[in-house]
Amino acid sequence: MKNIFYKAATLCCVLALSSCTSRKNVKVTPPDGTLDKCSLRFSWWGGDDRHEATLKAVKLWNNRHPEIRIVPEYGGWDGWTEKVAAQVKSGTEPDVMQINYDWIITLSPDGSGFYDLEKLNSFLDLSYFDKNIVSFGRVKGKMNAAAVSLSGRSFFYNSRVYDSLGADYPQTWSDLTALGSSFGSADMYPIDLDIQSGGTAWYLAVVYMQQKTGREFITDDGQLGFTYEDICSALRFYKELEDSHVIRTVRSRTDEDGNAALYQSSEFISGRVAGVLEWGSAIGKYESVLPEGVLEAGPLLSDENGNCSGWMIKPSLMYAISGHTEHPDEAAAFMDFLLNDEECAELLGTTRGIPASSKAETALEKKGCISGLAKKSTDILNAADTVTISPYMELPRMKSFYNAAIESVSYGTADIDEAAKQMYDSINEYLEKIRK
Amino acid sequence: MKKALIYLLLTAVAVIMLYPLLWLVGASFKTNEEIFSSVWFMPKSLGTEVYKNAWDTVTPYTMGHYFINTFMIIIPKIAFAVISSILVAYGFARFDFPMKRLFYALLICGMLMPSIATVMPLYRMWSRLGLIDTYIPLTIPALFAGEGMFVFILIQFFKGIPKEFDEAARIDGCGTLKTLFFVLVPCIRPAVVSIVVFTFLWTMNDFLTPLIMIQSVEKYPLSLALRLSVDSTGQGYEQSKILAMSVIGIIPSISVFAIAQKKFISGITAGGLSG
Amino acid sequence: MKTRIYRNPVGVSKYTGLALISPFIIGAVLFIIYPFIASFITGFTSDGISVENFRNIISDGRIKASAAVTLKYTIILVPLKLAVSLGVAFLLNMELKGIGIYRTAFYIPSILGANLAVIIMWQYLFTSGGLVNQLLEKAGLFPVSWYGDPDAALFIIVLLRLWEFGSAMVIFLAALRDIPRELYDAAKVDGCGRLRCFFSVTIPQIKNIIFINLILQTIAAMQEFSAPYMITNGGPLGSTRTVGMLIYEEMFIYGDEGTANAVSWLLFVFIAAVIFLMYRLTGISGRKQK
Repeated sequence: MKNIFYKAATLCCVLALSSCTSRKNVKVTPPDGTLDKCSLRFSWWGGDDRHEATLKAVKLWNNRHPEIRIVPEYGGWDGWTEKVAAQVKSGTEPDVMQINYDWIITLSPDGSGFYDLEKLNSFLDLSYFDKNIVSFGRVKGKMNAAAVSLSGRSFFYNSRVYDSLGADYPQTWSDLTALGSSFGSADMYPIDLDIQSGGTAWYLAVVYMQQKTGREFITDDGQLGFTYEDICSALRFYKELEDSHVIRTVRSRTDEDGNAALYQSSEFISGRVAGVLEWGSAIGKYESVLPEGVLEAGPLLSDENGNCSGWMIKPSLMYAISGHTEHPDEAAAFMDFLLNDEECAELLGTTRGIPASSKAETALEKKGCISGLAKKSTDILNAADTVTISPYMELPRMKSFYNAAIESVSYGTADIDEAAKQMYDSINEYLEKIRK
Repeated sequence: MKKALIYLLLTAVAVIMLYPLLWLVGASFKTNEEIFSSVWFMPKSLGTEVYKNAWDTVTPYTMGHYFINTFMIIIPKIAFAVISSILVAYGFARFDFPMKRLFYALLICGMLMPSIATVMPLYRMWSRLGLIDTYIPLTIPALFAGEGMFVFILIQFFKGIPKEFDEAARIDGCGTLKTLFFVLVPCIRPAVVSIVVFTFLWTMNDFLTPLIMIQSVEKYPLSLALRLSVDSTGQGYEQSKILAMSVIGIIPSISVFAIAQKKFISGITAGGLSG
Repeated sequence: MKTRIYRNPVGVSKYTGLALISPFIIGAVLFIIYPFIASFITGFTSDGISVENFRNIISDGRIKASAAVTLKYTIILVPLKLAVSLGVAFLLNMELKGIGIYRTAFYIPSILGANLAVIIMWQYLFTSGGLVNQLLEKAGLFPVSWYGDPDAALFIIVLLRLWEFGSAMVIFLAALRDIPRELYDAAKVDGCGRLRCFFSVTIPQIKNIIFINLILQTIAAMQEFSAPYMITNGGPLGSTRTVGMLIYEEMFIYGDEGTANAVSWLLFVFIAAVIFLMYRLTGISGRKQK
């Protein structure tokens, strides 16, 4: 009998030990310059429109290249991050993946998590991309990912409400603050800022301070660019917006909307909250709950001298190739097809935003597929002198620091100096840890 | 009079319990704007289009395909869970053996650890065994009494049966297994039915384990297929279709429970203690 | 070493029991011991980052705050849920016409779980202009800030889980069926009313089952994460961030498996202590079943 338990115990130890050593180095297959017969896994997340379009594109590829079969793997957003993280950790990830901007840090901290795309330039043509845009995908000198599209946040307003109150869309920060009184007397709000997953409250405060100081909040290489005083001022700016009735306090917002997103709240649908700061690529959800044509894109806010710097853009989605793929050339060729091919671009439309590849964008423009609020928002941001969002700024843990500070300032559980100190220390400590 | 009062009470509570379901069905016919602006369940218009779209899905497979996948997981899982839990619970409840207390403690421990903590180690184990993207990681744990809670429940039910039952059976010449299946199991049939029901409902709803273990869309169970369209980060957004899909998704659960609930009472005449 | 005497029926070897639980032994090695060890390794030893994060999570007070929330939640929810599910199971155990429909109806909330419909329903009920506040105002009381007030938010989560009493009810239903009818008949002859019957016949007969429901509901409550995640997302000010949700956030939002596992281990020890206490206090010990 005893024997069995010794065996069982040994088995346990072996299994446990092997779990420690599972992150062994996998040999990287070098590109061989030819396209071989193989099948590739390609994964993405999204909604129905994206699934439908992407499946059509995959079909087109499979027709054109019957020798390189693409096997699609796709699902909703919930849990997708974790699924991919689990796959990457154990080396079972798909050959080509749609990834989020901050994943290049979390999944490839040293730059070797994904295939270095620069080694694959015989099949992947990145010359249709702006040099700046190409650099977004670089981690520790290696090209980890290519941007599919760019996106930035700008204001969108309920035109019907603004008309009825005789208010103009704000041009400057003081215009915005001034709106508080006219909207306040009608028990309405000119805009909404949240501390949920969006975290627009801190986002706007960052834009305001970046414009004012000319400093970047977080730099590309993960350094905190703001001083402690900058963070204090940013929080003070937020508090002023609450006090002057420009936005709801966190508490009244939570009471009125619960945990629902703004586009699911009756306050937004009824027009009591008449503006939103949102990514151009995600504005459709807000548009669809208001009568057609009611939601309009507004200008970026500037200071009294017309300086509207400090607004930000980022790659909304990226494609990457697995560091463990056995078919790097074929994966690169397929990625090139997804990014640059004209026929493919027409099938995909704007389901992943407005393409960053000029070739794909021209193809879509010729077809007249690019229009609407997303396009307007892109134009507005393109006309301005924008800053690139650091992938470090987007890390979920960082967002929790911002939101905690805003929440405690709004509820009054900490004064601004304390909240800023806490946030400043947490950010510095965390950034230092992950830069390693 | 008293009966009427009981019915009244039950009906009042039942309305509270059922309203969300009613609303869910109603809302699946509504527009996004309608859904979030009214608590009343009746939609302005009824069109079956949304259900047809939901059934067809945007994948190459219909909902029917995902139903079949789910049943390919659920049916073996129920069989495995019932048999293994009965055997193990019987062993714990009726026999004495070496290291019994250790194993009992282990059984309880298995229930106490949050499952989130074990998902990743198990993923790595199955992935080393090359069994990712098969139904084995989803079904095989049930064969080894993977759900400690079921064993735990059955032990308590076995303990409720007087030991004289076993002894009488032994005197009649029944062996260990014969005693179990012909004498004891009929007595605890409601508890066994509740295990079937729980396994069914939990497998139906389980999202995390299949998400991590299954890669091919072709093999997705219903719970994954239902969330295929949900993308909070994206542009597309059609709430009614998502709700319609979840209506389709809960129909089997409700039917199974409606059928099974009879067993909680009709078993009385079919043997057992009170017979 | 003292030789242990195995008390088994005549002619049953001490290995019969082992043979019967052998599936569990294999399962325990593969699905309990192995992942436990692996999670311990990633939680406490593997890389410096998680050890450090773990230190942070303790030093910034998040664990302590979450443990307090979890305890409060469990203490409020479990007794209420046991009382409601036992009461309802008692009513539904009667042989009335059409009772099956009611039994199904009462289980439906549990089937819905944290379905989108439930989340939206809760919003209609408890947001500031919601149904509950409208009723409160009609009754001449003042409205409550359900979602925004750190003290009230936990309460609406308790209500959600209370409303989903189905699985506890199912176990009670299964147990009630086994109570011999003669006991009730005898009690009636002695002149017991329905209520007396309930307390002097039903409860003593199913006290083992009440105990397992207590244990199961306590475990479930202490591991809770999906309800606060869906309804309040842990807020406001962390007042509904249970330990389960803390683990979930570490694992799935921040992608830090090490910290998640370390906190899971703490939760495991925490629950084990509570369960052990329950065994001791109720006097229903695992040893009795030999």
